[in-house]
Amino acid sequence: MMRGGGMGGGMMGGMRGTSADSMFAPSNDNLTDEEVVGRVYDNRVVKRFATYIGPYRKYALIALASLLTYAAVNASIPLLIKYGIDWAVAGGNVNRVHIIGAAFMVITVIHFLSNRLQFIFISLTGQHILYDLRAGMFSHLQNQSNSFYHRTPIGRIMSRMQSDVLQLQETFELMALALAELVTVGAIIILMLVIDWQLALACMLVVPILTLILMYWQRFARHSFMRIRRAIAMVNGEYNQNITGVRVVQSLNRQDENLAHFRTLNNEYLDANLEAARYSGMLQPMVELLIGLGIGVGVVLFGGFLLQRDALEVGTLAAFALWIQRFFEPIRQLTMQYSQLQRAMAAGVRIFEVLDLQPDVTDKPDASILPQVDGEIRYNDVVFHYTPGTDVLKNVNLHIKAGENVALVGSTGAGKSTLVNLLHRSADVTGGSITVDGHDLRDVTRQSLVHQMSMVLQEPYLFSGTVRENICYQNAGITDEEMIAASTAVGAHDFVMELANGYDSELAERGVNLSIGQRQLISFARAIVGNPRILVLDEATANIDTHTELLIQRALNRILKDRTSIVIAHRLSTIRNADKIVVLDQGRVAEVGSHDELLESGGVYAQLYAINYGLSGPSIDVAPVGGEVIGADGLSPAAAD
Amino acid sequence: MGILWRIIGMAADYPIRLALAYITALLAIGFSLAIPWLFGNAIDLMVGQDPNTKGFFEKAFSLQALAVFGVGILAVSLGRGFCDLGRTYTTESLSQKVSFDCRNLLYDKLQNVSFAFHDKEHTGDLMSRATADVEAMRRFVNMGMIRSLDVVIRILAIPIILVLVHWQLALVSMIFVPAIVLRSSFVMRSLRRKWLHVQEVMGQSVTVLQENLAGMHVVKAFASEDYERVKYNRKAEELRVEYYDAERMQGTNSAWMTLYFTFALGIILWIGGWLVIRGDLTLGQLAMFFLYLNQLTFPVRMSAQIINTFSRAISSGQRLFTVLDTVSPVSERSNAADMGRATGHVKFENVAFSYEDRSPALRQVDLDAKPGQVTAILGAPGSGKTTVVSLLPRFYDVTSGKITIDGSDIRDFTLQSLRHNVGIVHQDVYLFSASIRDNISYGVVGATQEDVERAAKVAQLHDQIMSLPGGYDTWVGERGTTLSGGQRQRLSIARTILIDPPVLILDDSTSSVDVETERQIHRAMTEVMKGRTTFVIAHRLSTVREADQILVLDKGVIAERGPHAELVRTGGIYQSIYELQLRPQEEVLLEAAVPAYGRAAL
Repeated sequence: MMRGGGMGGGMMGGMRGTSADSMFAPSNDNLTDEEVVGRVYDNRVVKRFATYIGPYRKYALIALASLLTYAAVNASIPLLIKYGIDWAVAGGNVNRVHIIGAAFMVITVIHFLSNRLQFIFISLTGQHILYDLRAGMFSHLQNQSNSFYHRTPIGRIMSRMQSDVLQLQETFELMALALAELVTVGAIIILMLVIDWQLALACMLVVPILTLILMYWQRFARHSFMRIRRAIAMVNGEYNQNITGVRVVQSLNRQDENLAHFRTLNNEYLDANLEAARYSGMLQPMVELLIGLGIGVGVVLFGGFLLQRDALEVGTLAAFALWIQRFFEPIRQLTMQYSQLQRAMAAGVRIFEVLDLQPDVTDKPDASILPQVDGEIRYNDVVFHYTPGTDVLKNVNLHIKAGENVALVGSTGAGKSTLVNLLHRSADVTGGSITVDGHDLRDVTRQSLVHQMSMVLQEPYLFSGTVRENICYQNAGITDEEMIAASTAVGAHDFVMELANGYDSELAERGVNLSIGQRQLISFARAIVGNPRILVLDEATANIDTHTELLIQRALNRILKDRTSIVIAHRLSTIRNADKIVVLDQGRVAEVGSHDELLESGGVYAQLYAINYGLSGPSIDVAPVGGEVIGADGLSPAAAD
Repeated sequence: MGILWRIIGMAADYPIRLALAYITALLAIGFSLAIPWLFGNAIDLMVGQDPNTKGFFEKAFSLQALAVFGVGILAVSLGRGFCDLGRTYTTESLSQKVSFDCRNLLYDKLQNVSFAFHDKEHTGDLMSRATADVEAMRRFVNMGMIRSLDVVIRILAIPIILVLVHWQLALVSMIFVPAIVLRSSFVMRSLRRKWLHVQEVMGQSVTVLQENLAGMHVVKAFASEDYERVKYNRKAEELRVEYYDAERMQGTNSAWMTLYFTFALGIILWIGGWLVIRGDLTLGQLAMFFLYLNQLTFPVRMSAQIINTFSRAISSGQRLFTVLDTVSPVSERSNAADMGRATGHVKFENVAFSYEDRSPALRQVDLDAKPGQVTAILGAPGSGKTTVVSLLPRFYDVTSGKITIDGSDIRDFTLQSLRHNVGIVHQDVYLFSASIRDNISYGVVGATQEDVERAAKVAQLHDQIMSLPGGYDTWVGERGTTLSGGQRQRLSIARTILIDPPVLILDDSTSSVDVETERQIHRAMTEVMKGRTTFVIAHRLSTVREADQILVLDKGVIAERGPHAELVRTGGIYQSIYELQLRPQEEVLLEAAVPAYGRAAL
């Protein structure tokens, strides 16, 4: 019945499209960036979305009930008017006028209540669902491995969590209203047919024409919808880039050119919108004409004709005139929202794509909690690759005793970072196993494992919030004494105390109001505050200034003492003082031994050592660098053989 | 209200569109108001009332008369349709033009406002201003300025028409109008506050999200996923509550509006019916009352939305205009001169600087760098190294004292000409999503391939670029090829020296990954320093040692200055840095007496 209202046909007709059938089975690697042009109704999206309504069934049912009541009352008001005229007024019966009038007042109250309830409960349901979607997506994103974030630009994820969810939000409410309108249209059609089928048919003669027009119109609408989306993506991309790169822009005086370029993109967006406006504007006179036809020809001419033959009452005529007005308005509104529906379906597809991502690393169902460890680590025949066929690690065997300090040395691409990343299960080994105190990493929960180890990475990354929150990031239960002890140990305490509010000073986004060195000191404090048994320093001092590095160097001995530590570093003193130096070469352990042993044996390490520290060419660097060699930029030929 | 006027002012920049929009809107309303009148008269033509019995009878069939009304309705509908077409198009184009202008203004403002502004603002928040807030303004132009006319005119015109038809019935059915107006203005004010708050919370949740995603490696390393979940969910929950609150308020308002109208329909049926029976009103007139009132329903339902666009426009406009009105602390004087090409004599005279609300970052800084001299700047983190060099291209302005180039205060020149003379290689290298060529030629529009290659060669990057499959066309930046830290830094050097500045700043406090890269960067730096007044924040002893003067900063004050040979003997900060950094290295040199120059040959 509702479809008969002229909507269904038009929408379905325009539905065939580019939306890939595989949209729900994203390859795990990519959140594609392409504009998925959604269907206007995608059963899978709607079904999936419906599962989110589940917990709020009660709200949804109240919303639906009040919505249906509202629509029904809305459609029946002209009916009441018809009886008022024909049954009461035409008979000259004043009592009947009072009865109808009183009935109308009752209806008014119901109308109001259902209307209010409908608003409240649609919003309540919708907002709860949106919360669940947001929280669900966010939570799911936390489970994705580092390699997922490595290959997926953040902007892409952001746009899904932001604009797609907003899109869905707008649509959810829109769809509820659309449903109300469809019900109204359906009810009106039924009432019209029941009251006078001849007149009803005469009035609805125009519906097929309207359908045809809408179908034709959709083709244009679809085209300009896509054009608009493409254009706005370009505009926002350029805008975003200009903000993030503003320091370079100003340094290089690029403002004028950038503005010109931006105007071009902005202009395209404007044009696309104007084109769309022309199409949607064209629809207007058509619909108006059809309403005119309905009233002018249908009601006035045909109705007048029927009236003459005594086949019609005058109240019916008035009711029809009211119905026709109420009948076309929702249809026109719905047509206008067509592209919104399309957008929402596409947004739904993209949102569920995120929710369907498979995490690379998951806890086994029977994973146990790793008990407090001493920190003995074994790599047993560990093989690892990101993509099959290119092993990053090849049969790595390594035994690190509890409390031992190990330095990892090797050229870029030798697999140093991969080796340590496997330790905290940023990915799982492809072959072989890693054990800590004899526990296979895959048999314990990741949480319990990672809480016993800490990492300091090359790039210090802090969160907005206070210094305290950042240092106590892993565990909010850390006492002030512990926190201060940790930050004193790494030499951060002094400068923290110099900040306006000490440990309660607010850091800006990513801590940019501190220098890189200060940020790194805080991230050092953050790493050791929980007193982890295992500490990994992945080029932790590579990016900081010499001064801070000095501070850290002094603290390092204290920090590393009594812990198992794996250090990827350049500084010779760190490497030389390690209990054990492990030299990696092209994914294999090439040599293991102390500094002296390795120098003596004259192998890879001796070569690396000679190259890095023996040679200084025309310059003597204040900061001796090393450890890493050569191939360096990843472009020049691979290192030491 | 000032904010709305300002938006209206922006729309008034397109007077023809604005006028056309209003004219077509008025005509469309006029046409649609004619329909009930025609219909009512048609009914009276068909049905008459016997003055004695009060009963109805059908009048003589007059096809001609009916046809006049039928065709009349048709014609009026068509007219309304075309006027609506005109209104839709002009309104839409007007609102799009306004948002177009707004985006351009915002873009330009943001790229010109000084660093101090960007230090405080979050990218996510600025993005939402450019998207959500601009859209809110556009909707205001569309709905608030033009469509609201529809509401206002109908609310004014329909009562007048009805008063002319039957004033008593009109008055009785229109008693609600003042109530609507009162309620709307009340709701509008509180809704405005609500939406402003919702947008704030939204911005905060985006920041949490963005930080989480960007720092995912840290989240992973600390297994703090749950903590992050709690942090985000708290914001999402707040957002849910606030949104619901705002929507409920809005919905309630809309429900009340509808109530008034349904109620009025009831009154018309009740009292109007009674009047018809008494013979004071014709049936056609009663029908007119119904149809006119019905015509009011939709605009009034929309008025809630329109009121909402007002409140959102005020809150969004506020957020936008705050940015647009930001006066950059660094601005050109009205009589700023073109600097031309400087020789590069840089002087700081008693310069002090503090970031907005913080304690002074620099105090009493005096320095004199003669053309072609190299000044090395050292110091602990937070001692003000980067601040010193940021003042020179006027990313910030000095709080007191002055900086001169070739004897003239740098604030006397246009920013553009100043920055053509002062090039800076930033510590954090930002690459644009573009080809390597475009990234290098970023500061010089129309640079030739030769220029670009020459710069790349000086920066010791040319060979590596050529070894890439795409050469200079290789796409970098987000979604592009990842360049290593060293390559990025040299690319940054290349694009800076392409503008060939007589004064050069190398903010190079990070030590790079490996020896080969170090060497390449050092070579690049030595090359580019030739013939330029250079300020370098460095840790390479070679650079420092060769510098004409060394400045050691301590807590914003120049603690030591002089050439290497002098400072190394004074027993100050410099000496301690020197000792601690160099000793181990020299030991190594002695120990590893392995001839290894072979590597350099590669």
